Amino acid sequence: MSEKDHDLRREEIAAYLLDSLEPAEATDLERHLEGCVECRTELEWLRPAIQALPESVERVDAPPALRARVMDEVQADAKRARAAREGTGAAGKEGFWSRVLGDRGPLGLRPVAGVAVLALVVAAVAGYAIGGGGSGGGSSTVVANAGKAPGVTARVVSNGDSGTLRLANVREIPSDKVLQAWVRRGDKVVSAHALFVPDNKGVATATIPNMEGVEVVMVTAEPRGGSAQPTSEPIVSVSMPQ
Amino acid sequence: MKVRREKAERLADEELMPLIGEKDPAAFEVFYDRHGGAAYSLAYRIVGERAVAEDVTQEAFISIWRSGARFDQARGSVRSWMLSIVRNRAIDVLRSKAGRAPKLSFDDDAILEARPSEEFTDEEALRRETAQELRGALGELPNDQSKVIELAYFAGFSHSEIAEVLGVPLGTVKGRMRLGLEKIRGQLAEGLA
Repeated sequence: MSEKDHDLRREEIAAYLLDSLEPAEATDLERHLEGCVECRTELEWLRPAIQALPESVERVDAPPALRARVMDEVQADAKRARAAREGTGAAGKEGFWSRVLGDRGPLGLRPVAGVAVLALVVAAVAGYAIGGGGSGGGSSTVVANAGKAPGVTARVVSNGDSGTLRLANVREIPSDKVLQAWVRRGDKVVSAHALFVPDNKGVATATIPNMEGVEVVMVTAEPRGGSAQPTSEPIVSVSMPQ
Repeated sequence: MKVRREKAERLADEELMPLIGEKDPAAFEVFYDRHGGAAYSLAYRIVGERAVAEDVTQEAFISIWRSGARFDQARGSVRSWMLSIVRNRAIDVLRSKAGRAPKLSFDDDAILEARPSEEFTDEEALRRETAQELRGALGELPNDQSKVIELAYFAGFSHSEIAEVLGVPLGTVKGRMRLGLEKIRGQLAEGLA
């Protein structure tokens, strides 16, 4: 890495913190950060400035009805979770999630039988090309099976701790649905904190905050607000290089 | 064992997270009451519509609840983590809208329409005071620097999109971002003096 390259990377740190670099650029910078103490120090020094931005927003009172809606959902979920623990609401595993997980219990994962898969896209993994990257990093590009989902591509760029999931050529989804990303680590499948929808160009992008140990990234269509567990078969499944 | 609301109120955010992961509604209620206002304000600041901001806030909180509150302490405070989830969700919504118009000023209608609370706690009062000081710090940035930060953070534009919107070279955008953040960071280091 020449001094000039170093200066160029250093210039990108602010853009990186502002989440405005393209995924490939962010990956390049993260590779540089792994070996550059000076840039890592600068990044950590600047980070509080980014964290200050949302705190600078003028406070607007949230409607009490919003709190009521959130807590209604939370209470209903808690009730269902209690029922499941007590064995009154458990359903047998079947379908895709059963095939994936067998008899293992992924945090109470309860597949929903009979849920129609959206007439959206059904992308099966055809193969992947692995980009460079450090430990736990690297990028994986997966192309959907052309027979089932012509033109649809899914790409996960794993940047060590976090990752960016990008779907392209996705057709419009129903207004009462969102895309939800899931990650699989061993026998556990959990939500990736990522709900997203395609834009008018058919591109859907989501940030996956924690990529540590992730073996597979999956996307399902879920009701707005997301689901605690997948309720439909994956639209896309991306195996991460280990 | 679920904690009661009074007990949950005495816990720090980091202590609430494991309880939320165990699906404790009382812990989550305290978490919402502490941060729901900031989350909604940020969502409204980004999407500019109250109904959409409500949806964004609701989806962000429910995703935290349903995903077991996977918070990593090494990544910073719970509040910063939560606000980053809200920001990402709001930007996703913005990006999904066709023909969006970027907001180019901190003094936009969303702020002008903001309605201050009649009453709030000492902690909330301190946060609002800090927010006011932060806005002052941002307001002191040269316009070309605040604009690129605004477009990137609150409108979700990539640096190349910003370069196109503003008609300036990419390197200029990156430079303005760096200078702007350095100034904000410098003011934070000086206690927003």
